[in-house]
Amino acid sequence: METPFTDTIESADVAKMPAEYQSLLKRVLAIQADCEIGGPHLYVRNILPAAPSKVDALIVARTAAEEADHYRKVARLAGEIGEDVSGLLSRPNRERYVNAFRGTITSWEEFAVFGFLIDRVGRYQLEEFTSCSYAPLERLLPDVINEELGHIDYGHTKTAEFAARGGHTRERVQGVIDAWYPKALDMFGNTNSRRSERYRHWGLKRRTNAQARAEYMREVDPLIRAMGLSVPDPNVGREFV
Amino acid sequence: MNVRALDDHLKEMVLALHAAVNRAIPHINDDPALVDQALRDCAEILDVVLDGNVAEWLGSEGPA
Repeated sequence: METPFTDTIESADVAKMPAEYQSLLKRVLAIQADCEIGGPHLYVRNILPAAPSKVDALIVARTAAEEADHYRKVARLAGEIGEDVSGLLSRPNRERYVNAFRGTITSWEEFAVFGFLIDRVGRYQLEEFTSCSYAPLERLLPDVINEELGHIDYGHTKTAEFAARGGHTRERVQGVIDAWYPKALDMFGNTNSRRSERYRHWGLKRRTNAQARAEYMREVDPLIRAMGLSVPDPNVGREFV
Repeated sequence: MNVRALDDHLKEMVLALHAAVNRAIPHINDDPALVDQALRDCAEILDVVLDGNVAEWLGSEGPA
């Protein structure tokens, strides 16, 4: 059996690592950068002008600024090991790595649920890098995760407000939850992913896709129920199971 | 790609966004014109970020 890689390396060491490690590290950084800038591409142009209040509009702007900064930090790491991800800044949404980022967000309910469900998956993805083998990536985490927690909390609060209004507003937000919940679960990837196993072998991720997805569901399902909303069937509308 | 130059350029845009938001927040109830201007500034900067015209951004900063 192959011994898992348990060392920690810096950017200067990457060129000395096996090709598989270099390839997986470049891939995970590119996907992370894509997801960071993919969020603002989904919502800024539709949601910023349509915010229900000026405070909400400023929060949208601040959220987008923080996501752009997360992109910047990850792009710098990628660039340091020879992976140019600058093209991701202007990549069309339909070409994003992750399905959840391939459309557009056109309603305030969607923006709220995006923060509540999808930014929460983002936090899980970042937590995968805790104690990872690539030290420069781990050093980014505290500030980035802290800002993501703010986005999640805002999305949670707004989603709960919509649900509490009842009537058509509650029906609309349930519909948005129904649409985004399977996308959120899909973001964790295939249960039997060979690549996921290799990420763990090289110390670039901690959990299997299925473990991370199960933990996410244990966290988010009670929150959905606490809003008086229904948790969608986790097997419906899925791309990856 | 000049990684450092792109990083610096993006950092400036992010700082400008935060500055606009922080300028507006204390005046949300007493200076609607200032808040509106800050929101226009944010929209303009975010448009530039999302256009992602890196070649244009770095064109005047010389080769890598």
